[in-house]
Amino acid sequence: MTQDQGVPLSSLQPGQEGEVLGLHAQGPIRQRLLEMGFIRGAHLKVEKLAPLGDPMELIIKGYHLSLRREESSCILVALTA
Amino acid sequence: MSHLVVALAGNPNCGKTTLFNALTGARHHVGNWPGVTVEKRSGAFEAEEGLRLEAVDLPGTYSLSAKSEDERIAGHFVSQGKVDLILNVLDASNLERNLFLTTQLLELGKPMVFVLNMVDDAERKGITFDRAGLETLLGGPVIATVGNREEGIAELKAAIASVAKGRDPRVRDWSREASGHGPGDYGHDIEGELVKLQTELARDEKLAASVPNRWLALQLLENSKEAHALVAASSARQAIEAQLHKSLAFLEKHLGADGQTLVAEQRYGFAHGLVKEMVKTDTPSGETPTQRLDGLLTHRYLGIPIFVAILTMVYVLSFVLGKYPQDWIGDAFKTMGDALGAKLPPGELTSLLVDGVIPGVSAVIVFLPVIMILMGCISFLEDTGYMARAAFIMDRVMHLMGLHGKSFIPLIMGSGCNVPAIQATRTIESKTDRLITILVTPLVSCSARLQVYIVIAGTFFTPIKAGLAIVAMHFLGLGLAMLMGRLLRSTLFSAETAPFVMELPPYRLPVAKTTAIHMWEKGSIFLKRAGTTIFAGATLVWFMSRYPGIANREWSAELLRNQQTVQALQIPQAEKDEQLAELHLAHESRIVNTSLAARFGRVLEPTLRPILDPDHTRPEAWKDVIALTAGFVAKEIVVSTMGVIHGASDEPKEGEKLSPLQVALRDHAGLTPLTALAFMVFILIYTPCIGTVIMIQRETGSWAWAFFTIVYGSVLGWLLSWGTVVVGRMMGMR
Repeated sequence: MTQDQGVPLSSLQPGQEGEVLGLHAQGPIRQRLLEMGFIRGAHLKVEKLAPLGDPMELIIKGYHLSLRREESSCILVALTA
Repeated sequence: MSHLVVALAGNPNCGKTTLFNALTGARHHVGNWPGVTVEKRSGAFEAEEGLRLEAVDLPGTYSLSAKSEDERIAGHFVSQGKVDLILNVLDASNLERNLFLTTQLLELGKPMVFVLNMVDDAERKGITFDRAGLETLLGGPVIATVGNREEGIAELKAAIASVAKGRDPRVRDWSREASGHGPGDYGHDIEGELVKLQTELARDEKLAASVPNRWLALQLLENSKEAHALVAASSARQAIEAQLHKSLAFLEKHLGADGQTLVAEQRYGFAHGLVKEMVKTDTPSGETPTQRLDGLLTHRYLGIPIFVAILTMVYVLSFVLGKYPQDWIGDAFKTMGDALGAKLPPGELTSLLVDGVIPGVSAVIVFLPVIMILMGCISFLEDTGYMARAAFIMDRVMHLMGLHGKSFIPLIMGSGCNVPAIQATRTIESKTDRLITILVTPLVSCSARLQVYIVIAGTFFTPIKAGLAIVAMHFLGLGLAMLMGRLLRSTLFSAETAPFVMELPPYRLPVAKTTAIHMWEKGSIFLKRAGTTIFAGATLVWFMSRYPGIANREWSAELLRNQQTVQALQIPQAEKDEQLAELHLAHESRIVNTSLAARFGRVLEPTLRPILDPDHTRPEAWKDVIALTAGFVAKEIVVSTMGVIHGASDEPKEGEKLSPLQVALRDHAGLTPLTALAFMVFILIYTPCIGTVIMIQRETGSWAWAFFTIVYGSVLGWLLSWGTVVVGRMMGMR
């Protein structure tokens, strides 16, 4: 997968940062993610994974949020750091 | 005189409820929003001398787009309700995301007051605001407050008063200004399509009068269900839908995204621009206190042990310490009952009072200490922000069971008592997750059921086997809860998926007042709503288990004669008391064994025969049914009811290991170790007690779900205890 197409957020490791490219979800999940700030160009940083490996904690728009793999895999991001 | 209505709107965790409490004092009313079980707080307050307003605390939401129940209520209330003024509470240190909701609120064209709450937190983080600038851009007074210290409340009240009287120069009505200005500007392309949509919407005058046009047009672009429903009922439906289709296609082509995305981007664009211009952030670099604390509390290895420790503490506080006041209440009522029983002449009225009313009231009030302590702890964990971390830590496991991370704490608390555990599910935001958690919680074995296991297992098994059987019951309960969770998720609720998108708010020290108010609310709601029904149920079971025998004059006379005979005997007082107690028990036993409940037991007994009497050797198996019926009132009274039925006390005599009841069960009742085990399994799973059923009705808002729990519990209980008998026999058990 090339950088242009981006990678799913779920593949990022703690400490990695990225920019949202788009959402591969429909319906209420899409709407919820948009409202929570996952709009094109939004910057985010993966903070850590839960002790059992899922969900993940990330920082977006200056606040902390947790997402399950199910949700984070439909967010496409371009790695920035 | 009708008051002006102020609606408090804001994101979850923005300190809205604390601010509401600060505004209204403790003078507020807690109820439910019509038709749903989302709490509605409302209360009157005086904004200035002689100007009384009604404040309504809306559910905390991130948006008004009606995906969840909370959002639907909040959106519906502010857009259509009789709201005169919107008080938008914003978390000052998380302004950008909080402003997303603000952009939606501004579109309603109602006078607004903005609150930068917890501004002390923000200042500590080096965030400063240009308040005058914010006021110009938002079009309403912007007040800085610290809700938990009640700072800025006077200024806030003054602002509310001036806006309410329509005399505040800071207020601007964006809906009246030319488009292309202010927060509601979505750019040339979107605005063009909005105008076209609004033209179509305006064709239906009824629709136009009920909801702001522009608001509805935007909701349609955003693909909101509620907006679509409104249009579907409209006379101009076809024209509107055709235009919407055209508009979406146009936007997709020109702006490269769907309506939802475009509108959200514009909203965040406004929020971002506003923050960039009016807010200065000079955050000291390095980790925030919350990040440092999370380094420990959600640590890869330490996170789980710490969570277990906190959970244990809550459990001990609620069910070990809570047991003391519970016992005092129980004892006080028992003493009162005994004293009255001794004073009043024996008869129906005395029995109604002593065996019906007093235990009924007691059965309600004993719940109070546990409910209040547990709800206090939960509210504390929630307000500190730890509840979200607990869900974060446990979600993986709970997700496997078809539940949410936040379901874990209620389930574990269920092993103390199901009633407050079901109340504790309120912390779960998603309706489906909450409902499934409520429905499986009764399967978790509570401390009242433990008493039954102890008596039965102690009778039929060696101490080690008895211990194993009791532990097995608890694991069986938890295992079934998991299994049923998965099953319910994949059958009844397969269509409804709630995304797991959970904020991890900064840690904060809760306000004692908020916690205290919360405890009081939970306690009083339980007393008012559940108390009466539990009391009625207890009285009904009293009636069923006493009539007609209690009205039998001959039996009463016989008891009196026998008592007098014993009194006249020349024997030591202790022996006399013992004989008197036996006489009394025999009398009670006679009443119960001929009562309506006994008839009911005989009718029902055949259905339970495969479990309780597989060999058809127990003519008295119907007695177990009476005990099970009593268990519907409270599992605590199963043992004492068995004592009455078998005419044997459940208190062991001095120096003996088994109580007379246990001896009777072993020697005369005909239960075998295998049927005893099946009985334990049945006690675990069959119908929850009436308190739990009422609580399920309260928390799901539906009697259907309450009955569903009774039915599925009974069916599942029957199947599993029958399975126990069948498998046990194959293994050669008897």
